[in-house]
Amino acid sequence: MSGLKERLGRLRAASAAAPEAPKAAASVPDGSLHPKFASMGVELYENEYGAFLLRRMIFPFPYRHGHHDLIDLAGCAARLTPIAARQNRAADTPAPHANQLLFLDTETTGLGVGTGNVPFMIGFGYCTEHTFVVEQTLIRHPGEEKAMLAYLLSHLKDKTHLVTYNGRTFDWPVLVNRFILNGWRRSGPEPGHLDFLHPSRALWKNTLPSCRLGTVEESRLGIRRGHDVPGSMAPVLYVQYLNDGNPEHLHGVYVHNEKDVLTLASLAVHFGQLLDGNSGDAWLSEAPAEELFRTACWLEQHGSAEHAERLFEQLAVREDFGDGGWAFALAARYKRAGRHDRALPLWKQTAKQPKPPHCRSSTRMWSWRCITSIARGS
Amino acid sequence: MNPYTEKAESVEEWLSLLRKKPELMENVTHWHTQPARPARTVPLPDFIHNKLAYALGQKGITQLYTHQAASFRAVQGGRHVVTVTPTASGKTLCYNLPVLQTLLNDDTARALYLFPTKALAQDQVAELQELANLMEADIKTHTYDGDTPPTVRQAIRNAGHIVVTNPDMLHSAILPHHTKWVKLFENIKYIIIDELHAYRGVFGSHVANVIRRLKRICRFYGSEPQFLCASATIRNPQEHAERLIGESVALVDDNGAPAGEKHMVFYNPPVVNQQLGIRRSSVLESQKLAALLLKSGIQTIVFARSRVRVEILLTYLQELVKRELGTKSIRGYRGGYLPKLRREIERGLRNGEIRGVVSTNALELGIDIGQLQACVLNGYPGSIASTWQQSGRAGRRHGSSVTFLVASSNPLDQYLIQNPDYFLGRPPEEARIHPDNLLILLDHIKCAAYELPFEQGDSFGEEKLVDLLEFLAEEKVLHQVGTRWYWMEQAFPAHNISLRSAAQENFIIIDMTEGHRVIGEVDRFGAPTLIHEEAIYLHEGVQYQVEKLDYPEKKAYVREVNVDYFTDANLAVELQVLHVDLETNSGSLVRQYGELSVRSKPTIFKKIRLRTHENIGSGPIHLPEEELQTTGYWFSFSEEETAKRSANDMQMALLGLANVLVHLAPLHLMCDPMDIRVVPQVKALHTKRPTIYFYDRYPGGIGLSQRLYEIHGDLLEEAERLIQGCGCLSGCPACVGPIEEVGLLGKELSLSLLQGTRSGS
Repeated sequence: MSGLKERLGRLRAASAAAPEAPKAAASVPDGSLHPKFASMGVELYENEYGAFLLRRMIFPFPYRHGHHDLIDLAGCAARLTPIAARQNRAADTPAPHANQLLFLDTETTGLGVGTGNVPFMIGFGYCTEHTFVVEQTLIRHPGEEKAMLAYLLSHLKDKTHLVTYNGRTFDWPVLVNRFILNGWRRSGPEPGHLDFLHPSRALWKNTLPSCRLGTVEESRLGIRRGHDVPGSMAPVLYVQYLNDGNPEHLHGVYVHNEKDVLTLASLAVHFGQLLDGNSGDAWLSEAPAEELFRTACWLEQHGSAEHAERLFEQLAVREDFGDGGWAFALAARYKRAGRHDRALPLWKQTAKQPKPPHCRSSTRMWSWRCITSIARGS
Repeated sequence: MNPYTEKAESVEEWLSLLRKKPELMENVTHWHTQPARPARTVPLPDFIHNKLAYALGQKGITQLYTHQAASFRAVQGGRHVVTVTPTASGKTLCYNLPVLQTLLNDDTARALYLFPTKALAQDQVAELQELANLMEADIKTHTYDGDTPPTVRQAIRNAGHIVVTNPDMLHSAILPHHTKWVKLFENIKYIIIDELHAYRGVFGSHVANVIRRLKRICRFYGSEPQFLCASATIRNPQEHAERLIGESVALVDDNGAPAGEKHMVFYNPPVVNQQLGIRRSSVLESQKLAALLLKSGIQTIVFARSRVRVEILLTYLQELVKRELGTKSIRGYRGGYLPKLRREIERGLRNGEIRGVVSTNALELGIDIGQLQACVLNGYPGSIASTWQQSGRAGRRHGSSVTFLVASSNPLDQYLIQNPDYFLGRPPEEARIHPDNLLILLDHIKCAAYELPFEQGDSFGEEKLVDLLEFLAEEKVLHQVGTRWYWMEQAFPAHNISLRSAAQENFIIIDMTEGHRVIGEVDRFGAPTLIHEEAIYLHEGVQYQVEKLDYPEKKAYVREVNVDYFTDANLAVELQVLHVDLETNSGSLVRQYGELSVRSKPTIFKKIRLRTHENIGSGPIHLPEEELQTTGYWFSFSEEETAKRSANDMQMALLGLANVLVHLAPLHLMCDPMDIRVVPQVKALHTKRPTIYFYDRYPGGIGLSQRLYEIHGDLLEEAERLIQGCGCLSGCPACVGPIEEVGLLGKELSLSLLQGTRSGS
């Protein structure tokens, strides 16, 4: 065999000349901090496992983020109990309390929950008595991971719930991988989850183009980000930083992650108020009927039958029929409850629609056909 | 023989009737009888757990065969073990006994079983569960593969004592998510690798690397499992196991299982055209023999080499014995049948409802179909090891069995049928792998880095790891920090790496006659000559013309046609020697082994009329050059030898010799004949002399030509014997090739070239 290097060289020639990039960041960053980090408010943090970077921001109450003020977290947290109950199997998960929530969002180097996906930035927020705090940890290279994770663990200690967006299936499993890979087996109870992706889907699946956090906050929470680095760009930007060591690549990622954490807190207020029957008069009159209906169903599932009923009542006077899917489902609901007087007008209304309602259920499709043919025949 | 039903009482009786049929017996070139072998057993070892002994007793097992006891002891002694035994010798107990023994004593212990196919995994789970039930022990055995429902996966990961899976699943689902398998990896005591011989060539080279990754993960979780391997008979089981798992292993090959008398009948179809050396079709002869067996009530398995042949033979046989047996009792079996149907056929064979089965080598592996009485091999299965495996499907522990080897007209079959002693007298082939093939190795280093960062001082294979890691860091796949290398790409590496396909990207063939329908695949190396634009592509006997070849997208669009010609493409092959690793000079012959670059480019294609073979037109092919860097072995003839004949004669001689060698090479290698290529050149660039090159048709090589370099002498000797022994006048498809290709003197020229060399050396 010719030398390994020679063969590797031929391999490279065959794969059409790899780009010659400067070999800059291979050296281990030491105790000093790049001045550009300092200008972004980032500090060097050290613990017994080593160093990493920390950016800490304090938002004194009252602090408004979009429609909601985070000061209301204190009052709303307990209202989230039904969501927590649905998402956590263990009966012993305590009721959420504002001081025991950790709002969490990670930025990772890749996709999926495999062992090679590394969270390079962990953003988390929590309430203190008079402030909301957002902390963001960053590792300058994978060797700093252990120190960062230890720091996160110290913040998890007195928290009962993780508030996330898809964190139950993504952020948390990825973090668990990292704990195991760094030789830690977490003992004791797992944190409870308040994963807001699920309620968002329940409410907005049919009325928003997507349930991505950015879409939800812009159209329902009144939050405008302006120039935001999309989350999907974060891995690329981090690799650029690894290659040339320039912190500027990460500026946008910091801002994006910070806003995500704040939005999670805003969502908590939003859902808490909703469950409290406080959906706002403007929303009641402006939201599409479909959303009203889905919200009412969601409230019903979460033990707020009374508030749900109020929304169902609202629907009776709505003119915006949309494709009529909600009306059809609502009619079925009234029929089950024996309220034929309510069901009939809705069916008649549905039967006037030129097209069947958007639905995947073939039985429903079939009954729509029956109803329209009866209505048209009579 | 019962005169009314025409059913034979036994295989012996049927054979004695066969001997009285001269029209068949004249085609039998050799009749080999292996005497019956009694069982050799020992009592159950005293250390066996009483529950295990009880369960075995319930199954009627009170003694162990010698090999079962030997492997049990070796495992108890802490060794890695490979057990080599033929079909139906109770080999699963060799590894199940120590595993169950350990699990009975330690509920936290875990074992991982690897089988090359899903069907084998399911068989195994059924057997283990039966034993666990008999022992009344709570031992949970589960398969974990693509069919496992997501809902039970978590339970298996946490609570399964024995997880049965395949290497592909290990590679793409278990290892990259090892953090979900903490329980398994922390407590793993045994890793079972059955059908070891199936892990050879490219697949085996990949699997060896998957095992390197597996061991790395086990070390991370602080466990050091024992490997228990089982293999069919190959020449180098111990060496193969050691290369595959990277540990030294104890060999257990003292087979104590009994066997009935076994007849091996070599059958050569009669010559129907002496001049052209054409024999009667082996399909028709196989069918005749199988029908005779089936009509006499003898349960028979027929092996054919391709899926198409399976279907042809099946149709013929069902038609022939329809009245006696009904079509349902003769079944086909091959890849592409749905799992449910396969299970039904296996069951039918075991309980005797199905009297005959026609199969590809899909039934060669250890799927439980019981033991049949007769086996008909349509064509040499390609290796001695496969032949014994397939023939082992017939053979009961008591009573006789018979195997017919029906030769086809290809040179390898003809060589074996005329030299039965060669076949009977030699051990099976070696299984070869080349885990350090640079491309395969790099692929798995990526996967391994994804699973755990590499650290200075780590090793992974025989090559210098640091150089490889630095290379990957320069390619921006890994990121180096101090003395560690981390995976630093967005992608999930295992997804793009398949353990099984030789050339990763195949061309798919889309029939546009009616709508769009994918009808087949052609590998990357075959594509330029088979599916260039205007080529006539044959699929299941139907002609299609290629209308468009989308080379970057790897798609060929074809339309059904009906024409009276086929196309033949010229491929200009340029070989460049990159590095010579080994060299031997014997005066008249110089042979070398090393690295080659093979550049091939199709130039023109010819349209050739069917039957008359006249050239009725041609056209250019516009396709880019393909480059393959691989390992090769080549030998060149001396100047004196070259001077003895004209360039044209030399050309014919080399061509004829190459035709023989390409068929003989697989005799020594357990590989597909397509894995190795032979190219003759009258004046080679590298040596300036007449040269014959062999190379591995896989980037980086997989160790095949290296083996050929070693056995060069035998290879030429066999070539000479084959050409001399062939009954044709001046060349036929069974030796140097048809006279249309090598000319009227081809046979003579090839032979004299060979003899000149051998006398000179």
